[in-house]
Amino acid sequence: MAPTPDPNSVGGSAKQDEATLKVPSKDPKKKDEKKDEDLSEEDLELKQNLELYVERVQDPNPDLQKAALESMRQEIRASTSSMTSVPKPLKFLRPHYGTLKAFHETMPNSDLKKYLSDILSVLALTMSAEGERESLSFRLIGTEGDIGSWGHEYVRNLAGEIAQEYTKRQSEEASIDDLMELVQQIVAFHMKHNAETEAVDLLMDVEDLDLLLEHVDKTNFKRTCNYLTSAAKYLPGPDDMLVLDISYMIYMKFEEYPNALQIALFLDNTQYVKQVFTSCTDLLKKKQFCYMIARHGITFDLDDEMVADDDDREALQDIVNNTKLSEGYLTLARDIEVMEAKTPEDIYKAHLLDGRASSGASADSARQNLAATFVNAFVNAGFGQDKLMTVPSDSTTGSSGNWLFKNKEHGKTSAAASLGMIQLWDVDSGLSQLDKYFHSNDNPIIAGALLGVGIVNCGIKNDCDPALALLGDYIDKEDSSVRIGAIMGLGISYAGSQNDQIRSKLSPILNDAKAPLDVIAFASLSLGMIYVGSCNEEVAQSIIFALMDRSEAELGDALTRFLPLGLGLLYLGKQESVEATAEVSKTFNEKIRKYCDMTLLSCAYAGTGNVLKVQDLLAQCGEHLEKGDIHQGPAVLGLAMVAMSEELGVDMEIRSLERMLQYGEQNIRRAVPLALGLLCISNPKVTVMDTLSRLSHDTDSEVAMAAIISLGLIGAGTNNARIAGMLRNLSSYYYKDANLLFCVRIAQGLVHMGKGLLTLSPFHSERFLLSPTALAGIVTLLHACLDMKPIILGKYHYVLYFLVLAMQPRMMLTVDENLKPLSVPVRVGQAVDVVGQAGRPKTITGFQTHSTPVLLAAGERAELATDKYIPLSPILEGFIILKENPDYREE
Amino acid sequence: MLTVSVKWQKKVFESIEVDTLQPPYVFKAQLYDLSGVPPERQKIMVKGGLLKDDADWSKLGLKNGQKLMMMGTADEIVKAPEKGPVFMEDLPEEEQSANLGYSAGLVNLGNTCYMNSTMQCLKSVPELKSELSNYQSARTKDVDQTSHMLTVATRELFSELDKSVKAVAPMPFWMVLQKKYPQFAQLHNGNHMQQDAEECWTQMLYTLSQSLKPPSPSEDPDAVKALFGLNLRSRLHCQESSEESSETESVFSLKCHISHEVNHLHEGLKHGLKGELEKTSPALGRTAVYIKESLIDSLPRYLTVQFVRFFWKRESNQKAKILRKVDYPLELDIYDLCSEDLQKKLEAPRQKLRDIEGQKLGLQASAKSSSKGDDVKMTDAEESSNGSGESSSGDQQGGASSHMTGIYDLVSVLTHKGRSADSGHYVSWVKQESGKWVQYDDANTSLQREEDITKLSGGGDWHMAYIVMYKARLISM
Repeated sequence: MAPTPDPNSVGGSAKQDEATLKVPSKDPKKKDEKKDEDLSEEDLELKQNLELYVERVQDPNPDLQKAALESMRQEIRASTSSMTSVPKPLKFLRPHYGTLKAFHETMPNSDLKKYLSDILSVLALTMSAEGERESLSFRLIGTEGDIGSWGHEYVRNLAGEIAQEYTKRQSEEASIDDLMELVQQIVAFHMKHNAETEAVDLLMDVEDLDLLLEHVDKTNFKRTCNYLTSAAKYLPGPDDMLVLDISYMIYMKFEEYPNALQIALFLDNTQYVKQVFTSCTDLLKKKQFCYMIARHGITFDLDDEMVADDDDREALQDIVNNTKLSEGYLTLARDIEVMEAKTPEDIYKAHLLDGRASSGASADSARQNLAATFVNAFVNAGFGQDKLMTVPSDSTTGSSGNWLFKNKEHGKTSAAASLGMIQLWDVDSGLSQLDKYFHSNDNPIIAGALLGVGIVNCGIKNDCDPALALLGDYIDKEDSSVRIGAIMGLGISYAGSQNDQIRSKLSPILNDAKAPLDVIAFASLSLGMIYVGSCNEEVAQSIIFALMDRSEAELGDALTRFLPLGLGLLYLGKQESVEATAEVSKTFNEKIRKYCDMTLLSCAYAGTGNVLKVQDLLAQCGEHLEKGDIHQGPAVLGLAMVAMSEELGVDMEIRSLERMLQYGEQNIRRAVPLALGLLCISNPKVTVMDTLSRLSHDTDSEVAMAAIISLGLIGAGTNNARIAGMLRNLSSYYYKDANLLFCVRIAQGLVHMGKGLLTLSPFHSERFLLSPTALAGIVTLLHACLDMKPIILGKYHYVLYFLVLAMQPRMMLTVDENLKPLSVPVRVGQAVDVVGQAGRPKTITGFQTHSTPVLLAAGERAELATDKYIPLSPILEGFIILKENPDYREE
Repeated sequence: MLTVSVKWQKKVFESIEVDTLQPPYVFKAQLYDLSGVPPERQKIMVKGGLLKDDADWSKLGLKNGQKLMMMGTADEIVKAPEKGPVFMEDLPEEEQSANLGYSAGLVNLGNTCYMNSTMQCLKSVPELKSELSNYQSARTKDVDQTSHMLTVATRELFSELDKSVKAVAPMPFWMVLQKKYPQFAQLHNGNHMQQDAEECWTQMLYTLSQSLKPPSPSEDPDAVKALFGLNLRSRLHCQESSEESSETESVFSLKCHISHEVNHLHEGLKHGLKGELEKTSPALGRTAVYIKESLIDSLPRYLTVQFVRFFWKRESNQKAKILRKVDYPLELDIYDLCSEDLQKKLEAPRQKLRDIEGQKLGLQASAKSSSKGDDVKMTDAEESSNGSGESSSGDQQGGASSHMTGIYDLVSVLTHKGRSADSGHYVSWVKQESGKWVQYDDANTSLQREEDITKLSGGGDWHMAYIVMYKARLISM
């Protein structure tokens, strides 16, 4: 491959004049060297010049040496511009690398030696043997000059060698000062030349990310932070925390508070959150922060340090307390025109199933009515109206009272609680609607009303603490269904609040010898939810004692699984903090020990993407166990929980789950659909949909049921027509099997949840943040689904309502400075990964323009289509406050 | 004196004065005035607790301007309805089956699918069921022992099917059937042989016709004959001698002959009513070929048509099956197969039927500006299927006023699947009173779509119709 002469290159044309002079003398040589035959004249000349320089460098005359080195340097610098092939000067100098190196050694220390070192360092770029790092060593003895002038490729190579050298020196515990100096230069160079990613990589290699702070500027900090935060997902602890810390500091430095807040929330660092509030002076921005905190679903109290003015603080606290969520959601519903209540029949669409339609049954089926209750609750969730429960009771037929009594015994609990779901987030109307059931003399109805109060208050905080006030007295009632209703209600409404008052009420139940198992199980679960991710020692102790007190028979009960789960939730996402408790769990009865182990491990590493833990769990799943052991179920769920945090992990996990389906034992196969459901929750991927559709016809009815529920989960709140069709066909396929049909109905309800306005995904803010309470709700349901018959198909079907913790509107609602809805045009399209891309790449593709409020599907991103307003948060999800753009000119 | 604001539902009662010296009950009475919620129904929430009627204000630490929240309504308390709903899960098994909308299947006792499918088809005739239930359990002397037993067994089988949810094993019936007709008890390699469903069908009808005969012959013909029997008037014509004679015969079914020209049931029926036969001609004094042309003289309530798919192949000495596709309609008009007398009788009812349908169509046609021929046919078919339920009920009320129209609706299909007569599988497809089609495949039952029923016309390896049964569409005059 002969390099084609490039007349445009600076190097080539600069040498032109000299070359013409020497042409005659070179002619005879040309004939001798066959190798050079295919070289053009210019190249030949360049070659000869370089050879001349090499000779002269070895000349004893320092002046000549210097001139030669200078010229050589000129040649090399001028030609490093080309990226596609080895630069010609380097190519021609290759044969002389050895000569020069040898000569270099003989040289005395002088400026000239440094010059030569520079050149050798560059030559080593192509010549140095693998692992020798000659480029770096020559660099270190060379001149301390502008390394950037040798070209980008050289700097990159140097960075690579530094990383290697650094590891070596670390192990030898040698000094790294000289390296760090070089690193400084390289980072500065990279940061100036749009190569933030490389700068970050180098700094991560040399473990000195703090340097970044000095080098970022207004133009590149966003790209830098973007790269840092996305890299954090793939880093092992504690590096990931460090990286995020740096990126938080950079954001703070450039006053990019919303992003800083995001990271603070990710780190679950209240101190950082406070810092964001105290650093920011703009009240409107603080309001936006409050919306972000509210979406994340954590309990957060503002103090006067963060917001000085009392009225302002109250207004901000209202936002954090989510009091306006219902209003915003209804605004969206009205805009999309889906206010009209839907009946379960509207969802089943039985008329589309020719022939197979259910024949007009004369008697009500309690199971089918219960399913209808759930479907009705999920579909009309948060709309405040439906056609079963809220119809005015004065109408004689089909009044709310009547539908309630169309449910049997414990079914009435779910029916009464469904009213809470329909009034979701609207505490005022919800409580007044539920009031009448408090005065019933039917225990299941009271239980339902209590649970309903909990559901209505889910995610909403209120100064008067209505849920605690109303439910508190019922915790110690005689009837266990009433107790469970109150306990579960508290768990749902105060999830994540770490409310001590409730702990002091619930903890005694755990260690009450007289309390029935189901009450204890739900108490443990509720405590787990309230203290989710808190690592609270006292709660952990109570649950551990409760577990130790269980008799052999009780440990075999399906509900016992909620005890370890409650314990696990305490450590949700807290990684190593779980270790002490995990150690204690080794002392448990062997019936529950492994189950507890798996649950703790999976909860603690949920959403971390920790590969080592994935391997641990996979190893557990690989064993072929004798019958009776149930711990592989939570292990499979754990795989999904750990891997769910980022796309790549999700895809890999889906693949390995496919293997488990083929080689796993039956108890693993039963959990696999649920794991798939968790991985793709509210994100109906076609491949997963197909797998689940296949499994929904499995000969093992437990696998089929899990697959059906998971079809509902992956389609939750999407109105996905394909899943809806699949479920419709399943409803006719399983029309005779009451259990499977019940699951199909629930799944249908989930798919049309909130008439398609809701999502169950615990991830938000461009899939960056994971809401712990939302994950807790989903995981609880999945654990319940591991053994459907005694729980969901038995009399504890109301565990389905734990999903309310994860229910959030998948909307983008823009509001003006007075927080009133404001309609602006936005583009909504598939999000594009722009991490590490130079310039200002498009962040969405295949977009459509809508006016707000709009719905955002999984993997979609929005951007404003107008310059008239400036959004106060770069992540256009949920509530977004818009500020008028002062620079905007009407065209 | 403190002032607080109380939030109730969507309203906020501002600056209510609280007299902390009075018990909270007084405060509740104040709120009663404002909200109309009686004090005992009020739940007032103060910082995570409920305000008790006898609480001490001072201990609550009430602050001036504090916001309280009240829950409570003056709504009526929900009461359980006096009569709770009946849940299907609580019902005894028999009633659950009623809710399914169709009866149970029959267990295959070893190559008895021919019997199962036949019985399911016959069971779908409600009139036959009611006749059977009137049948005396005590044997009258003009019915032989085995026929009597078979009739009783049939009755028992039908009632058991109606009661059961799970598939019924028709063991007693099967034993009696073998006793009455020993050919069904044939064994081959120790197993019961596959039998011809048509034979079973014919024999069953014959037996039932015998045993359900009214005691005195003076009355109307027997019930089975009234339901299934049709009279054919045949004209025998000898071309050689130009002799003509006519005869009438009574049959239980029409035959649909399948030849190369036959593509449709109607053509097959016409074919079946025309035949040649050899018999001694009195005029010629030798056997001569006579042409026999038959026309229908009286119409049955249920018209049974057998597709003559099986024939004896002389060359290979075996029973062979014709796989040819022969379409059959959901609605069959046999007017042109009737004798002139009958046609005259049918004129008036048919006119009326046309008028009624015309009226209905007229209404629809006005809605659709341009009604194409296809549309008319489709709506026509719908009308007919809707009408079938009414006609049967009307007919029971006043038999005299309802008249035959010569138009029939498909109610059941007995199909055979397989290449030869002695193998394969029989299945029956029966239309329920609700208008839905159910497939009875031995013990399995499943709902089917109406358009799939007409796809059983043969021409492949799928189930193909062997015996179809139509129900007369009656009209009251």
